[in-house]
Amino acid sequence: MTALSTTPAPGIPWTRLVRVELRKQLDTRAGRWLLGLVVAVDIALMSLLLWAGEPGALGWAGLTEAASAGQLLLLPLIGVLAATSEWSQRTALTTFVLEPRRTRVHGAKAAAAGVLALVVMVATVAAAALANLVGGALRDGAGPWQLEWAFLGGNLLGLLLLVLQGLAFGLALLSTPAAIVAYLALPTAWTLVGSLVPALRTPAEWLDMSGPMTQLMAGTTSGGDWARLATSTALWVGVPLAIGLWRTARRDVA
Amino acid sequence: MIEISHLTKRYGATTVLDDVSFRAPAGRVTGFLGPNGAGKSTTMRVLCGLATASAGTATVGGHRLRDLPNPGRVVGVLLDASAQHAGRSGREVLTLSARLMGLPAARVRDCLALVGLTDAEADARTRTYSLGMRQRLGLAHALLGQPQVLVLDEPANGLDPAGIRWMRDLLRRFADDGGTVLLSSHLLREVEAVADDLVLIGRGRVLAQGSTTELLSAPGTEVRSADDGALARALLGAGHEVRPLDGGGLGTSADAEAVGRAALAQQVVLLDLRPARSAGIEDLFFTLTAGSAREEAAA
Repeated sequence: MTALSTTPAPGIPWTRLVRVELRKQLDTRAGRWLLGLVVAVDIALMSLLLWAGEPGALGWAGLTEAASAGQLLLLPLIGVLAATSEWSQRTALTTFVLEPRRTRVHGAKAAAAGVLALVVMVATVAAAALANLVGGALRDGAGPWQLEWAFLGGNLLGLLLLVLQGLAFGLALLSTPAAIVAYLALPTAWTLVGSLVPALRTPAEWLDMSGPMTQLMAGTTSGGDWARLATSTALWVGVPLAIGLWRTARRDVA
Repeated sequence: MIEISHLTKRYGATTVLDDVSFRAPAGRVTGFLGPNGAGKSTTMRVLCGLATASAGTATVGGHRLRDLPNPGRVVGVLLDASAQHAGRSGREVLTLSARLMGLPAARVRDCLALVGLTDAEADARTRTYSLGMRQRLGLAHALLGQPQVLVLDEPANGLDPAGIRWMRDLLRRFADDGGTVLLSSHLLREVEAVADDLVLIGRGRVLAQGSTTELLSAPGTEVRSADDGALARALLGAGHEVRPLDGGGLGTSADAEAVGRAALAQQVVLLDLRPARSAGIEDLFFTLTAGSAREEAAA
């Protein structure tokens, strides 16, 4: 008893927690497959654009935009898995013994997924630059090298929001299939309903993420668009995240 | 030292733990026995901060596990050997936890060697592991942070006889070095062989607790004599309980001196006189849990 109280072990530093969570997102087959698919889809889309695209559509920005589709679709699923696999694979039983502050663990998962998104984004921009050079050699001269900061920043922020949304849906539902289906289907269904029902058109403007996200990634968000991005993000990222954190904070681990 | 104090846990109207209190002192192996659904795992989950008690406390060295900054360095936990990510290798499982706890990579190799998992086994994904291998991996995981306290839920489950003996020796050494061990089991013989103290639980209540020897030694003596009938009458006359034993002879609540004096007074020759045979932990287990066991467990 005295031995315990006189030797307090130092706590787990935040960066260490994030590094371990990042490793956990990539050390399983599912994680590696998803990342591999992101790379494969990105390369395929860039190649397609290089081969078949109009010479005018080529260029650093155009190639980056085309290549981003893979990660926008698939990287959020790594966020989903990071949240759900603890419960579906029952590793929560060890994770939350080693670090009992569960919300801190989930913060580290979000940070790790964010770091992964940043790395993938940087790699995509670099790959697009390479593709632009190749395009210059194969087609009539390299496309424009213009790359707006608003476009770059918008794409990165958009990717981060989607990954966080994946994590949030995972935490709220704690089941991999349910979270993936809900993450993919619910926002789209809502967009559809909003456009079909005239009475919902005005609220949908404020509560539908797809419009503001498209603007964000095109780098054309301005003025009231930011407010619409904020309200729709609060609904589609903030609400599931709050439900998920609340649900997991004191839930009994079986 | 582990201290469970007035622990109560309710799920809606169901009471899973009802005022459970016991201690597992340092330097001893405490066996936590009970039929399925008795509340062993729930008690351990509350102790490990994975479940919240409705009332009462569960502490290690006076601290709740949730309040320790790096709990893995104080308490080694194995609650369910099957609860590992099927897609990770055993080595990866240990590496993740070692990094989280801030341990050198060599500690992973040491623990794998300690539990006897080969390099090839350690590199295979846990999906392919047998239950025995999972238990070994789980024990390696519990020992990783060089803890002073071990909390193990059914660790012998799935181990072969050699593995069970190996684990018994390991836990004995751990306790002899001053560590605290709390291990649950329904393998009664296994607990009898290794536990210094026993806590019996049924339907969420502690039914008996004490040192293993204390709980297992029955009071009284067993005696054979040239004239059991005369001796029995004398002992009954002196107010002791007497019952015939299956293989001949008497079992009695009288101690050796009282039996000797009765025999002397009656001039009966004693052929055999010994302390009453230990009831056996199995008898104790079934006697104490018969009323509270689930039907399939009692069958």
